[in-house]
This record gives sequence, C-alpha cells and structure tokens, in this order.
Amino acid sequence: MKNIVFIVDITLKGSQRDVGRWAESRSDPYVFCTKAWQKWCDKNDCELFVLNEEVLPHSTMPVSWQRYYVFDLLEANEIEYDQVMYVDADTIPHPDCPNVFEMSDRKFCFVHNEGSYDWILRSIENYSKYFFDGYMIPWCDYFDSGMMIFNKDHKEFFAKIIEFFHDNRENLLEVESKWHAGTDQTPVNYLTHIEGIDYKKLPYEYNMCDMFRKELLNDDMTFAKWGWIYQYNSIPNNKNDRLTFHWMKKTYEYLWGNL
Amino acid sequence: MKKNVVFWVGVKNEKYSEKYGGWDWMDITRKSWEYWCKKHDVIFFPMEKPIEEDLTRFRINWQKAIYCFDILDEAGIDYDQIYLVDGMNIVKWDTPNVFELTNHKFTAWRDTDNLGWTYKSIVGYNDFFDGYKFDKEKYFSSGLIIFNEQHKEVFRSFKKMYHRNIDEFVDLQDRIVRKGTEQTPLNYHLQMNNIDINLDLPFSYKLCHIHRKEMFKHSWQLNEDMTPFFIKYGHVWGFSGLPKNQRTDIISQTWDLVKHNYDENHFLNKLAHKDEWCKTTSRKFKEDILRIFGNRKDLICLEIGSCRGDTTRVFAECFKTVYSFEQSDENLKYMKEKCSDVDNIIYSQSDVYDNFEIPDVDVVFVDAGHSTELVKYDIKRFLEKNKNMILIFDDYGQRDESIKKAIVDSNLPISRYIGEYNGFTCTNMADKEVTFVAREGVICNMD
Repeated sequence: MKNIVFIVDITLKGSQRDVGRWAESRSDPYVFCTKAWQKWCDKNDCELFVLNEEVLPHSTMPVSWQRYYVFDLLEANEIEYDQVMYVDADTIPHPDCPNVFEMSDRKFCFVHNEGSYDWILRSIENYSKYFFDGYMIPWCDYFDSGMMIFNKDHKEFFAKIIEFFHDNRENLLEVESKWHAGTDQTPVNYLTHIEGIDYKKLPYEYNMCDMFRKELLNDDMTFAKWGWIYQYNSIPNNKNDRLTFHWMKKTYEYLWGNL
Repeated sequence: MKKNVVFWVGVKNEKYSEKYGGWDWMDITRKSWEYWCKKHDVIFFPMEKPIEEDLTRFRINWQKAIYCFDILDEAGIDYDQIYLVDGMNIVKWDTPNVFELTNHKFTAWRDTDNLGWTYKSIVGYNDFFDGYKFDKEKYFSSGLIIFNEQHKEVFRSFKKMYHRNIDEFVDLQDRIVRKGTEQTPLNYHLQMNNIDINLDLPFSYKLCHIHRKEMFKHSWQLNEDMTPFFIKYGHVWGFSGLPKNQRTDIISQTWDLVKHNYDENHFLNKLAHKDEWCKTTSRKFKEDILRIFGNRKDLICLEIGSCRGDTTRVFAECFKTVYSFEQSDENLKYMKEKCSDVDNIIYSQSDVYDNFEIPDVDVVFVDAGHSTELVKYDIKRFLEKNKNMILIFDDYGQRDESIKKAIVDSNLPISRYIGEYNGFTCTNMADKEVTFVAREGVICNMD
C-alpha cells in the first residue's frame, strides 16, 4: 500500500467572483503544482491522485468542501492507500522535502496557519457564534486546511465533516458569502477539536503560507532556501492571479527544471 | 529558598533616547511585570544599568545574555528559573505562571514573523560558526527566554566566546550582517552545545510583530467587542517590529486600555472569582459585563441569587440601581461588606421562589435555582413581566447543561457569549475539579 498525495484541481466555467479559486483564470498555474508533486511522489514512492471533476455540482457543494470525499474517491477508484496527504493546488514542494508521511505518527497532521490573525480570529469568532454555540478552539493551533495528512482512522471524522456540511448547508453558504471568512477551513478546525481528534502540528516549513508577509517571497528565492512546501497565497496586488502564475512558474523552473 | 526570577532588561541610554521616542514606555512595561511577579511570588529583578560602559562594543542585548548569571550571583539572588525579559514586553495581568510550563528546560519561542531577516542573519553568521549546519526550525527569539542553573555553563562559555571575538562580532553586527545583536550567535551557540530547547509553548506567550499579524484590530464584523485582538488573546505583548520612535505612543495607548487591571486597589482586584470560589463568576465574566454594559446608568438591574456579592459589585458599577436578592443571612453580610463602597444596591433577604414580586427592571442576572425547570420558570416570569428584559445567565457551560437546556427549551435567542471558555476548570463545593464544556455565561434578549 502506498501513501497518496491528493490534489483537487478542478476548473469551473465562470468568473472568479462566481466560482472562486476554481475559475479558469486562477487555475493556470496549478499545472506547476501537479507536475512538482508528481515528481516528489516518484522520488518518495508515493502515488499522486488528482481530482479533476466535481463530486457534486458546486452549486450544491462548493469545491473546497469536496476534498473530504477523498476516502470515497480512493475506494471508488480502487486505489489501495496507507496515508493520504491533501495539498492545495497552489503549492509546490522542494525536491528535497523530507517524506512527511514518516513524520505523522499516524495522527491527523497539519500546519498552523500563520498570516493575518485579523482574518483568522474573525473567522474563529464568527463561526463560534453562528455554528458552534460559543465554543472556542485554541487559536494558536488553528490550521490551514490546504495541507493535511490523515489515514483510514480518520474516515469517520471526514464523514462527519461532510454530514456537518449537509446539515448546515444553507447557513454555511450564507455566512461564507456574508463574512468572507473562509469556506471549509474554520468549521473543520472546530470539528477537529469538538470530535477530539488526536492531531500533530508540523512546523511552518511544511506548509509555508503567506510568504510575502514573512519577507520570504523575493527574487533571491529565500523561501526555497528556508523550507519545504510553498503555498502561493495572500500575495499583494495579485491582479488576475498573475503573480501566483509568476511565482509558481519561477519556483518550478528554479527547483524542478522546465515543464 | 530558591525562587523564580524575572530578569527584566530596561536600560535607559540617553544617547538613543530620540531614536526610541523617549524611554517612558519602559516605565509602563515594568509596571506590568512587577504586578505579575508579585501575583506569582516571583522575584522581579530589573537590569537598569549596564555592566560595561562602552555600549558600542557591549550592546545591552549582549550584556544581558553574558552577564545575567553574574549579576544575579553578585546580588545574592537564590534563583530557580530565570525569565529573561526584554523591556519592550507587557505581560497581561492574568497570564498563567509560565515557570510551571517549562518542564525545567531552556524555554523559548520560535521567531517566524520576518523569516527573510532571520534567514539573512543565520547565513550572515554561518562562517563565524565554521559553516555549522544550523537547524532553522529551531531558531528562537532571545527577547523572552527561560532557563535555570543548569544552563549557567553554556552562558559562561557564550561570554568567553564573545570576549575572545569581540571585534569580529561588533564588525559582523554593525557592518557586515546587520541583522541583530546577540540573538543569532546565541542560537548557534546553544544548538552547537546540544541544549535541549522547549519550543512548544503557544506563541501567545510571545506575541510580537503585532502589526504584521494584524492583531491591533478587533473583531469588527461581529462588532460586539472592541478589544484589540492582541489584548484579548495574547499573554505577553512584544512591541517589536514597529518603528522604534512610536513605541512610547503605542505602549501608552495600550496601557490606557488595560492599566486598571494592574491596580491592586481597583475593585475588580478585590473581588473573588470563579477560579478560587466556584459559586461566583470568573474574572473574565465580570470583565465582559463591565465591557458590555459599561456605564449604563440608565438601566435598572435585578440579581436573583447574589451569593456573596462579588458579581453584584460589578452590576453596581454598571447600572443605576441593583436589586439584589439572596436567601442566606451569612452571604448577605459578606455582600454588604464587599459592596460597602457603593450605594446603589437595594438588598433583600428572601426566597425568590416564594411570593416574589418582580420589580420594574431592565436587566436580570438569573442565578438562583440552577435546575432546568427553575431556570425555565424564571425566564417565563421575567419575560412575561417585560418582554424586552435582558437576561444574563451564569454556568451556561457546565457539564450537565441544565441552564443551556432551559434557554433552548424557552426559545430564547443568545445575543452574546461571555466569561471563560470551554475547558475552564474550577473546584466545586465537594472539592472536585469541574470543567466547563461551553462558555461560562450568556446574555439573551439583547440587541
């Protein structure tokens, strides 16, 4: 049984305003992600599994929630698996990135979401009030759902996440569009604690989000010298995601060569 | 007897006064640490004068690290753990005793705010340390570190290293690398000496680069609480990464928001709280009541089940008049003494479930019977009296959910969650530890 790297790379028709990160205009650079992860998988004896089609119409379930069908997808495709690492389609690993599956202790693993705590704490407070009866999570452990490691032990947990979505669909969609405080990420953070999931926090170097804020995203490629998995989010002045394309292409060529 | 020590570094160097916008901020941060040390029976030891007068060759940051043990030994301090604290930090009044969280290891916090700076600093000093393969994931900030006597030797060797190479260090620091003073060399030195470093405590204990984290903001969407995030969620607030000449201004503004918490004579500091007496409310509950109702002297409040008056005193601060009902003669005596500095409480000793006539009030603190049936009965009769009455409940988060069930069964909308969070523990009257499974309290029926 192999470990699996799972990526959702779905392109939807429509503007970014209508379909978010899955719009055609945003998905161009994701090829650098899938190619890089394919090479990383080859090097680490893992298998890459890319979801290119919606499980449910995005009008029923936003694409970002559909990642939690991963166990059903793997089983429907008769893929044998041990551990699974989900990564967002705007990530690129370093060729020397250690085999993170060996660091998991077979727990639910993630990386703390560093960045704008204005956004994070508003999101935590909003969801606390409107979905979780004032329950509070340890904010210093708030994670980015753009990188998670899990295994069969977490099937039931993922089923509960999906159930939570369907039970609260209308409210979730309303709050999502009203507050702009994320989609699946904050509810999944809450469910992790409420369900008492045993988790392990990996260092920032394994999901380096908001690199611009940390003064890592520069032409010296400092980020590539610092850590292992790069996420190209929260880049200022990123009109039409041109800078995402620029940095993902540049990183791929710097670390992995030409496509 | 050995005691823990806060070694607080606050040297006012007049030469750099303008660069730092004066030194008034140090007087403020110092007060917070003095308060915290007293509360936790910790020695507050200020380093206010340099050991070496030549501050070009011996920056204060170097001096604090290389002379800390010498200074304490010379002062005859019998120390257990030493918490080395840069003067730019304020400790929040209710920060737990961090010495109890260290496992007696060298304890520090990762510095991940400006990793571009850190990278250049690590690379810049690498040649000096003979190309040592430094583990970047363990790089810590030296602005807040905790250590103990077993680390004396490694600090002694650090001092020797500095004295032997002082010219080279000054050159690296001021001309070549220009990324920090002793922090990166100390990181190298400890790693090269295999010091076991505890980096696991939450970074709320070292909350720096507050502007970069966007934590000067408050929860502006819910707009229920204007408290800046760093005050609400941080334990130690480090005013680093800001323009140095704005430090006094920003720290002063912060102090204006919080200084009453450090004043032993402030009434909140004279009351009992839930962590010490389970029948009252927590300090956070009281703070939230004060924040939400502030000076609502246009409202009249009723409290049923006043107990010893700790929360009653807070209501007296907020509202025009407080009608307080308590059954126990003994509690009433306590309460009158506790609230003797205010004159807007009308005390009654009676059973609120026996021939009780509800006065004309705007707000009720429902804290008498705690069974679901009694609370439902209270909700019903208060709203029948006045459908706009604001109802405040304690113990919403207790494990048996009796209060919660009453609120749910009564279809009463929750307007605010207040008080301590799920996970808060206190000792009940049977001397058993109880843990809250939800927020301590709620306010209902309020716009």
